Amino acid sequence: MGVPYVPVLGLLGSDLLKGRKDMQVLPDPFDPAHKTVVVKALRPEVALFHGLKADRAGNVHFGYESDNVILAEASRRVLVTVEEVVDALSEEERARTFLPGILVDAVADARFGAHPAGCPDAYPVDDEHMAWYAAQSLDDAAFADYLRQTVFEAPTHDAYVQRFVPEGWGQSGQRPLQVAGS
Amino acid sequence: MPRPYNDAELIAVLLSREVRNDEISACGAQSMIPAAALLLAWATHAPDAEVMILASPFTPFPTSRQFHYLAQRGDLGLFFVSGVQIDRRGNYNLHLLGDDHERPEVRFPGGYGGGMIYYAARRTVLFRTEHTLRTFVERVDFISAAGQTPPDVLRRGHPTKVVTPIATLAFDKDAGLLRLASVHPPHSLAEVVERTGFDLGAHPAAEATAEPSEAELEVLRGEVRARMIETGTYPEWARTHLGAAA
Repeated sequence: MGVPYVPVLGLLGSDLLKGRKDMQVLPDPFDPAHKTVVVKALRPEVALFHGLKADRAGNVHFGYESDNVILAEASRRVLVTVEEVVDALSEEERARTFLPGILVDAVADARFGAHPAGCPDAYPVDDEHMAWYAAQSLDDAAFADYLRQTVFEAPTHDAYVQRFVPEGWGQSGQRPLQVAGS
Repeated sequence: MPRPYNDAELIAVLLSREVRNDEISACGAQSMIPAAALLLAWATHAPDAEVMILASPFTPFPTSRQFHYLAQRGDLGLFFVSGVQIDRRGNYNLHLLGDDHERPEVRFPGGYGGGMIYYAARRTVLFRTEHTLRTFVERVDFISAAGQTPPDVLRRGHPTKVVTPIATLAFDKDAGLLRLASVHPPHSLAEVVERTGFDLGAHPAAEATAEPSEAELEVLRGEVRARMIETGTYPEWARTHLGAAA
C-alpha cells in the first residue's frame, strides 16, 4: 500500500496494545467523536517465499492464493525458492496465485523446499517429522539437537532432502493439503 | 445416569442454535466444534445461512484478509471463538499464562485477528470444553480480546454467550459482565458455581438448558459427520467425536 499507517477496528481494551510503540490510538479525523487504533506499516527488509514454479523472469506461481502478494509488496527484497524453475509460466499459471517478477529479487530452485511443511499441489505436511519437531522443541537441549541434525549436519539442501524427505514424497496417494484462510 | 451425548456434541448443538438464517456466521481455524455447529445449523433450522469455516472447503475467500475486512465492514453476524481463559468481564485469553507478559509460564499461538473480530462481529459466542477454576477466572492473565469497550470507540458487536459442558453464561452488555443463563442437566447450580472462578450472579432458580433433541443428534451424527469426513473438514475429529460414547 505504501502508506505510513492504517487504522484497525477494535483491539482497544486488550493487552495487545501494551508496550507497542507501533500501535497508537488516534481520534478519527473524519469523526472526532470516535477513536481508532492505528498501526504503523511494516516494511520488512526481506521476505522469503516458497512456491510451486518460477520462470526466468522471476514470475512465481504458488499452488494456493494467500497473503503472499501483499507481503511481497511491502518488503524491500523478495527471495523465492520453488519446486521447479521453467522458461516461462503458462497463461493459467500466470492467471492465478501469481507473484509477478517485478516484485521478486531472486529465485532459487529447491525441490521439497517447504518440507516438513507442505507445498499445496505438490506434497502434504510431513506429520511424522512435525511430531518429531514438536517433541524436540520442548526444551533447549532437545531443540539444539534437532538443529544439529537438520541444519548444521545437513549443510546443503540436497543433504537435507536426502536425509529427511521420505522416499517418493508428494507422489499420488497422499491426502491433499488444506489451505486457504486461517 | 450419563447423558446420551458427549460434551462435543452438546456444545455443537447449543452453538448451532445461535446461527440465524439471514446472517453470515463463521469460525476460525482449528475450530472443530463450531464447524460441526455451523454445518448442523445449515442442515436444520438455517438452510440459507451464509457459513464460513476458515481453513476448510467451506470458506469463500482465498485469503484471510478478505475475511477480516468482511468483519470490519460489519457484515459478520456471528463468530464462534474459544479462549484458554475467560473472565467475568467477557475478556478472553489466547496468548499466554503467567503474570509476567515478558516471561510467560506458557505461551500460545495467539488470536490472529481476534481482538478486532470481537469488536466487529455483531455477536460472538464463546465456547470452552473445560469448565474449571483455571479456565473461568476473575481476570485473564492476558486480554487477547476485550469484553468491555473504552468510551468513544466504534464497536459493532459484543460477546453474547459462553457455552461450556455444564452451563451457558450470558453477557450482560450494560453491566459488562458474564452471568449464568442456564445449567445443562444433569449438572447442578451448586456445581457450576463451585467450578467458576468468579461471581456468576447465579440465581437459585437458574433455568435448565434445553438438551439436544434426538433429531438434532441424529443429523449431527449422520449428515454432519458424513459431510465433515467427505469434505476433509476435521475428518478425524468428526470420526472420533460425533457419535462417540459420552
